[in-house]
Amino acid sequence: MNILTIALRNARKKWVRTLLLLLVFTLGVVSIVSLNFVSRVVGEGLEKKLVSFGANILVSPRSEKLTVSYGGFALGDMLFDVTYLDEKDTLAKIDAIELRKNVSVIAPKLVVMDRVQGTAVAIVGVRFAQEKQLKGYWLAEQGALPGEEPAEAAAKLAARAPADGEHQAMAPANATAPVMATAPVPASSPARSPELAPAVHKPTGPHESAVLVGSAAAAKLGLKLGDRVPLGHGHLVVTGILAATGSEDDNVLLADLSFVQKATDRPGKANFVEVAALCSACPIEDIVTQIAAALPGVEIKTLRNIVEQRMYSVLFVKKLILSVSLVILLTGCSMVGISMLSAVNERKKEIGILRSLGFSRRAVFSIFCAEAASIGLLAGLTGYLLGYAVSFRILAALDMAEGAVLSFEPLHLAATALILALLTSLASLVPAWKAAAIEPSEALVTL
Amino acid sequence: MTEATTTNAAGVAGAMTGASLLQAPILQAVNVTKSFTQADSGADSGDGAPTQALKGVSLSVAPGEFVSIVGRSGSGKSTFLSVLSTLLKPDSGTLAYNGQDLTTASEAEIDALRHGDFAVIFQFHYLLPYLTALENTLLPFMRGLRPVSGAQRRRAQECLERVGLVDKGHRLPGQLSGGEQQRVAIARALVKDARILFADEPTGSLDSATGATVMELLGQIHADGLSVVMVTHNEQYAGLADRVVRMADGLVV
Repeated sequence: MNILTIALRNARKKWVRTLLLLLVFTLGVVSIVSLNFVSRVVGEGLEKKLVSFGANILVSPRSEKLTVSYGGFALGDMLFDVTYLDEKDTLAKIDAIELRKNVSVIAPKLVVMDRVQGTAVAIVGVRFAQEKQLKGYWLAEQGALPGEEPAEAAAKLAARAPADGEHQAMAPANATAPVMATAPVPASSPARSPELAPAVHKPTGPHESAVLVGSAAAAKLGLKLGDRVPLGHGHLVVTGILAATGSEDDNVLLADLSFVQKATDRPGKANFVEVAALCSACPIEDIVTQIAAALPGVEIKTLRNIVEQRMYSVLFVKKLILSVSLVILLTGCSMVGISMLSAVNERKKEIGILRSLGFSRRAVFSIFCAEAASIGLLAGLTGYLLGYAVSFRILAALDMAEGAVLSFEPLHLAATALILALLTSLASLVPAWKAAAIEPSEALVTL
Repeated sequence: MTEATTTNAAGVAGAMTGASLLQAPILQAVNVTKSFTQADSGADSGDGAPTQALKGVSLSVAPGEFVSIVGRSGSGKSTFLSVLSTLLKPDSGTLAYNGQDLTTASEAEIDALRHGDFAVIFQFHYLLPYLTALENTLLPFMRGLRPVSGAQRRRAQECLERVGLVDKGHRLPGQLSGGEQQRVAIARALVKDARILFADEPTGSLDSATGATVMELLGQIHADGLSVVMVTHNEQYAGLADRVVRMADGLVV
C-alpha cells in the first residue's frame, strides 16, 4: 500500500467512469494500432505493387552526348566514348550497399540495334527473372514469358481479360516511348488457349535463345511464334509476344542477356542497370548516394517523378493514419481532462482530508496523475492487443490477409502503454494542478 | 486581546492540569484575527463587507492539556480551531507551536506538522469511502511511493484495537456505523503518534451513547499525555476538559 493505492482504489470505486474512460481510450488505441498495422501492410503491398511497375534508379556509364546539326541538316545525338558497365562488378557493388534491403530488383540490360526483315529494331538483353519482377504487368498475348508454361500464361491472360482496360492503365509511370494503341485481345481469342496454339519451333542448342517480342514490334516486323531472328553469331526464336503494355517494351525484342552478350561479342557487358528501390521509411536519395559511392564514375539518375509519386502514395496513407490517430488521441485526452476536472470538484473533501493528514500539494497532484496514467497504461496494453487482433480481421475484410505478416513486438506494446500513460497524465495536468491548489480549509472547514 | 483563562479541571486527567500549566505552552495563539468574504464562505455581514469571524483571540495550550472551546453557532470556535490546526491561515496575529512561528513557516514545514505532530478529527469523520477501516487508519503512511511497512500495519492494528474495531478493519466506511466511523477517524489520528489532537465537534453527528464512547476514548488519549483541543456544543463533554474556553462573536469571553 502506498500513494498509488489511493489512485487505484478510487478508480475502482468509480468503476463506471473508469470503465467509460478506459473504453474510449482503448477504442482509440485499437483504432490507432490497427490502422497502423493495416497501413503498414497496405503500404508494403503498395510498395511491392509499385516496384512491379518499373525501376526508379538508372545506373549507366558516364558518356558525352552532343546534338549535331550543320547547315540545317540534323545529325541527331552523337555519343562519344560509348562505354559499357561490367555487369558482374556493378551488380556486386550495388549488392554491397548499406541499404541493400531496400533495393528490391537490380536489372542489368544490354541494348543492341539490329535489322529484322530489313527493319531496324532494338534487341534488349535482360535477365528475365529480374525483369519479370520489375514488370509485373507483363502478359504473354501469344506463347509464354520465358520460364512460364503456356497454360500458365493463358490462365494469367484470361484472369486479366475482364480488366483489359486496367492492364492498359497499368503501364509504367516512366514510360517515355509513344504509346501504341493496341486493341485488347478478346477473351475468346484462339491465341489465349494453349490447346489451340499451333506447334511452334523452340530454341535448341547454344546458338538459339528465346525472344519475347513487344506487341508493336511483332505487328511491325510480322513476327509470330516460332519465327527465327538472326542476332550476331546466333538466332533468336520467338517464344512469346507481349500483350500491349503502353511502354517502350512494345517496340523492342527482349532476349536473355547472356545470349545477347555472347552473340554480339560483348561478354559481361551491360549498357545500363535499372534498380527498383522503394522504402517508406528511408529517402530514396540515400540509396542513390550509396550506389554513387560504390560506383564512382558511373552516372546515376533518379527518376524523381516516379519516386515522388510512389512515395506520395505510401506517405499519404501514413499521413492519413497519423491525422486520424491524432484526432482520436486528442478526443481521448480531452475526455480524460474533463472527467478528471469534474472528479476534482467531486473529491474536494477527500483532497482536504489528505492535505490535513500532511499530504503535500505534490502528493495530491501525483494521485490524480497516477489515476489518469493507470487508465492510459491499461488502455495502452489492452488497446494494443485488441488492435493487433482486429488488424487481422480488417486485412481479411480487405482481402489482404494472405501473405500479410504482422509481427507482434513486445517492445511496441510496452512503448504504446507508456506513451498512453504519459498522454493521459498530460491530459490530467490541469485537473491535478487544480486539485493540488485546494486548501484543506476550503474542503473541510465549516465557516 | 483576550486571553483565555482556565475555568475548571473537572473530569479526565484533571491531575495533570497543574503540572501542565507550569510548562511552556506547546501551542500558542496570540491576537488572531480572521475574516471571510462572501466568496470564501458564502455568507457575509449583509452589506457586502467581510464577516470578521475572529476578532483577536489568544490561547495557550500546555503539553498534555485538554482544552474545550464552547460557544454558539457562528461564535468563531470552529474557525479558531482551524487556525490552531493550521488548516486555515489567520489574517493577523501569531500562532506558535513549540516556539516556532507557524504564520511564517513554509508549506513543507506545515505539511510536516500535519503529518507528524498534529492530528485533526472532524464532526463528519471524513474517511475515504473506497479504503477499508484499516487502510483509512494507515492513510498517513501512504503519502509516497514507499509501501506501508509491517511495523506501520501493526501500529494501525493496535490503534484499531484501542478504539475497539480491530475485527472490523476490513470493512469499508459505508459498512460501519457513524460512531464506528468516528472511531476509525480517531484511530487514524492516533496512528502517527501526534502530540496534539484537534477535535471539531467530534460527537456532533452521533447519538448520545455513541458520543459518550467517543468522549471516553478522547479522555483515554488525553490520559496518555496527548494535548487535546476540542470544539463542542455539548457543555457536559466540555466539562471533561482541563479548561473550558468560551467564545462569542469571534472573541473569547
